[in-house]
Amino acid sequence: MSLPGPLSGRLRDLGLGVRFAVSGGREGWTRTLLTAIGVGIGVLVLLGAASVPTFLHKGNAREHARMLGMGSSGEHVHRSDHSFLYVDVSSQYRSDQVSGYLLRPDGAHPALPPGVDKVPGPGEMVVSPALRKLLASPEGRLLKERYDYRVVGTVHDAGLTSPFDLYLYAGSSTIDTAHGAHRADRYGAYLRPQPLNPVLVVMVVLACVVLLVPVAVFIATAVRFGGERRDRRLAALRLVGADARMTRRTAAGEALFGTLLGVALGGVFFLGARQILAHVQIWGLQGFPADVTPMPALAALILLAVPLSAVAVTLFALRSVTIEPLGVVRSSRPRPRRLWWRLPVPAAGVALLLTAEPVDAVDVLGLVHIAAGVLLSLLGLVLVLPWLVEAAVRRLRGGPVPWQLAVRRLQLHSGGASRAVAGISIAVAGGIALQMFTVGIDADFRKTTGADPKRAQFGALASYPSGALAQRMVDDFGATKGVKKVIGTVESWARPQRAKADPRGATTVSFTVGSCGSLRELAHLSSCENGDAFRVTESHDAQQDGRLQKLARPGTRLAVDDGRDLYGGTAKPVLWTLPKDVPTVASRRAPDGTYFGGILATPGAIDPSRLHNATTSAEIQVDESVPDVYDLVRNTAFRIEPGMRTWNFRDVQRDQQYTSIRSGVFTASALTLTLIAAAMLVSQIEQLRERRRLLSVLVAYGTRRSTLAWSVLWQTALPVVLALALAVAGGLGLGRLMLGMAHKPVTDWGLWLPLAGVGLASVATVTLLSLPPLYRWMRPDGLRTE
Amino acid sequence: MTPAGSLLSATDLRKSYGSTPALDGASFSVHPGEIVAVMGPSGSGKSTLLHCLAGIVAPDAGTITYDGRDLTSLTDAERSALRRGEFGFVFQFGQLVPELTCVENVALPLRLNGVKRKDAERRARARLEQLEVDDVAGKRPGEVSGGQGQRVAVARSLVTDPRVLFADEPTGALDSLNGERVMELLTDAAREARAAVVLVTHEARVAAWSDREVVVRDGRSRDMEFTR
Repeated sequence: MSLPGPLSGRLRDLGLGVRFAVSGGREGWTRTLLTAIGVGIGVLVLLGAASVPTFLHKGNAREHARMLGMGSSGEHVHRSDHSFLYVDVSSQYRSDQVSGYLLRPDGAHPALPPGVDKVPGPGEMVVSPALRKLLASPEGRLLKERYDYRVVGTVHDAGLTSPFDLYLYAGSSTIDTAHGAHRADRYGAYLRPQPLNPVLVVMVVLACVVLLVPVAVFIATAVRFGGERRDRRLAALRLVGADARMTRRTAAGEALFGTLLGVALGGVFFLGARQILAHVQIWGLQGFPADVTPMPALAALILLAVPLSAVAVTLFALRSVTIEPLGVVRSSRPRPRRLWWRLPVPAAGVALLLTAEPVDAVDVLGLVHIAAGVLLSLLGLVLVLPWLVEAAVRRLRGGPVPWQLAVRRLQLHSGGASRAVAGISIAVAGGIALQMFTVGIDADFRKTTGADPKRAQFGALASYPSGALAQRMVDDFGATKGVKKVIGTVESWARPQRAKADPRGATTVSFTVGSCGSLRELAHLSSCENGDAFRVTESHDAQQDGRLQKLARPGTRLAVDDGRDLYGGTAKPVLWTLPKDVPTVASRRAPDGTYFGGILATPGAIDPSRLHNATTSAEIQVDESVPDVYDLVRNTAFRIEPGMRTWNFRDVQRDQQYTSIRSGVFTASALTLTLIAAAMLVSQIEQLRERRRLLSVLVAYGTRRSTLAWSVLWQTALPVVLALALAVAGGLGLGRLMLGMAHKPVTDWGLWLPLAGVGLASVATVTLLSLPPLYRWMRPDGLRTE
Repeated sequence: MTPAGSLLSATDLRKSYGSTPALDGASFSVHPGEIVAVMGPSGSGKSTLLHCLAGIVAPDAGTITYDGRDLTSLTDAERSALRRGEFGFVFQFGQLVPELTCVENVALPLRLNGVKRKDAERRARARLEQLEVDDVAGKRPGEVSGGQGQRVAVARSLVTDPRVLFADEPTGALDSLNGERVMELLTDAAREARAAVVLVTHEARVAAWSDREVVVRDGRSRDMEFTR
């Protein structure tokens, strides 16, 4: 069956274009390959972006599948053949998180953790490959002291979040529910997804637009590589009878082939790049290569949209070119670019952003509204940039030869230069806006804890209540190398004996036991001896102070540590009378930033080992000059009680979602900028390649190589400086609008400096890297025609 | 051995591109003010001979002497300086910088030699006038005809008052009428400036403008011993 005439003719024209793309020997292939590499880099970024949802989902799914005790409704797990006891033994080692559980099976067939073939026996452990490597290395010496079990197996990928996951399951014959262990009969937890703060949603949308628009712009640039030569070929086609439409279709076919090759190459780049994840951590990005899989719908969209856009861009580019049989009529003086049709695009973007809903009340439609506003504003920069470059270089005159060569070239062909730097300008503008927005909303996601790291830098909390444990904590931590001071306390509660038990705490006051030295860190004590007790007010909590006033008057008989004050607890109170002469003292900010309010007692007044429901904690001051002091303390904590929680005090705490998104955005920004710089290099090399004959001729005339190198530098630097100026102005404006939507003022107008610096550095690097090919093409070989 | 009184001479030049020999023992000489045509079929090595003589390409073997100096012993910078100051070039294609106007193109070699822009452009205009293309001085190469462009290129090659003018198929892209006119202007201007001309061509019609012809075939040169 033959195709209808017009259709077969069109296909023939497209086919001819494809033949042009692959024929022409090394020259033709080089051109096609450069286009393919450019498109491939763009496709790599797009596929990476399309993989983010899968990447996050798969990582979270494996994380949740191995969790124990999270998301349970508090139901009691009965002892069975599958059940087991567990204690969470996760801890930090230097800057890395090591996670895992101590396990004690109840029966012969305990549930298996994901990625584990057999539950380890007492004194044994199975570890992730990364942890095995760390433990076997000199760097893992201190960690080996902590997890001193015999390695008998490996946790496979199914039970890990990434190849760098430090994870373990160790066997125990001693853990029990009385000492902090819990019972479970399966692994996995359902965590209700935490709804994302609307402001963060806007930040993510802004980031997506900002990071992907430069990529799209670059793809559009890459498909125009070799445009001048292509137009000459098309002129030759016209000479043998092709009409204007046929030549356009041929050009489309040529662009299509290069782009399809680029899409294939992008796929190969993508497959290669994701393998990197197996070997290196890129700015904290962790996962398995297989997790980086694009969402099918998005992948299909990329595979379809990129080639179609390539054809559209080619046809759009040919719009301003008249290809006549005897040559291309673009060489004539080009028409000046008009601003009137370019300005409405950013203006529409600004109008959309000005009319957008406040970000804290934004819905899906509102998000589209904001995204469209940001998109149009940034695309507006791309449209205004060629006009700006042309208008600026038109006024330049004179100067030395390199300057003149550069300026004249820009005056004649500023479009190519503008396109080359458009990606950088959007990335910088978007980066500035994003940075301003992030810094502007930072205060909302940052909490000053009030912690005083000068008094204590480290906290430890036992996983089960024991008054006796407090003393051991004080003693053992105190004996640890590098520890200067330990504040150990046993924390419980007290209720007037006659008052009714209330699990909501309405009838109780806090009751803490500790040595005089420890209690002095919680309240202003003028004198203290073992056997003393104190009423502490001014806790910055009016309710707490009120309860103390009402419930704990001097001489009151108190029920301390009564289990009935807990949900499901049983009565085991310690009866104790508040001395009639008990002094009332003012609270003092504790090293962790909190204020205590309630009753403080020394061990001489009440024996803490009788308080079975109490919590035992320690706040530790260390000498940070001692190497690995924190890990020495963590090792002590593990020896005292494997399930003991330890943490560092921070004076500022950040919202976890915010922190994750912020670091994700910066990682993606850095990757995009790196890829844009790589793409610019390809673009620069392509431009030089097109002019290599002219370069050879100029060298034949005796032109110094440095003259040409300087001219290339000026030729790149001029549009870049203009692009960065536009990007800074646009970025600051966009950032101001975004912050306006969040009702936040601009806190730092100087944020553009580092990003503009990065942009300039990228361009300088690109220019430097393009010098070797420039020098090669300045060789007289270019004069050879045979 | 250098022929007596020659300005530029080459002896037993050899040059290969990969495994393909381009010159295989070619010799050549030109005297001051003399116009020598280098003829031969495509791929015979005549352009390579010109590139070697002009110091653009270094030969693999053989000697080239210019004004008593061994050209092959000069550094790249010294050869570049020589090309800037004492040689002029006309090629068939791609020789004018498309972004510069015709007068700026002609002034370019002077500016590369450090001549101030105004002075360089004044001298360039004089050359354009001599080549009868002063009316296109302010136009860009893309806006002028092929014949005009080639005359601009000749003007550029002569603007530094070179002692040797190298012309590689200078009329190859022109019709016969324009080609004749360019050759007439080129040879007149060269004779007036007492510049030696090395003229590479495969057209007998063009070679007829020379004083002497050298034929290159398979990388070897043969002097026609013919003097007009």
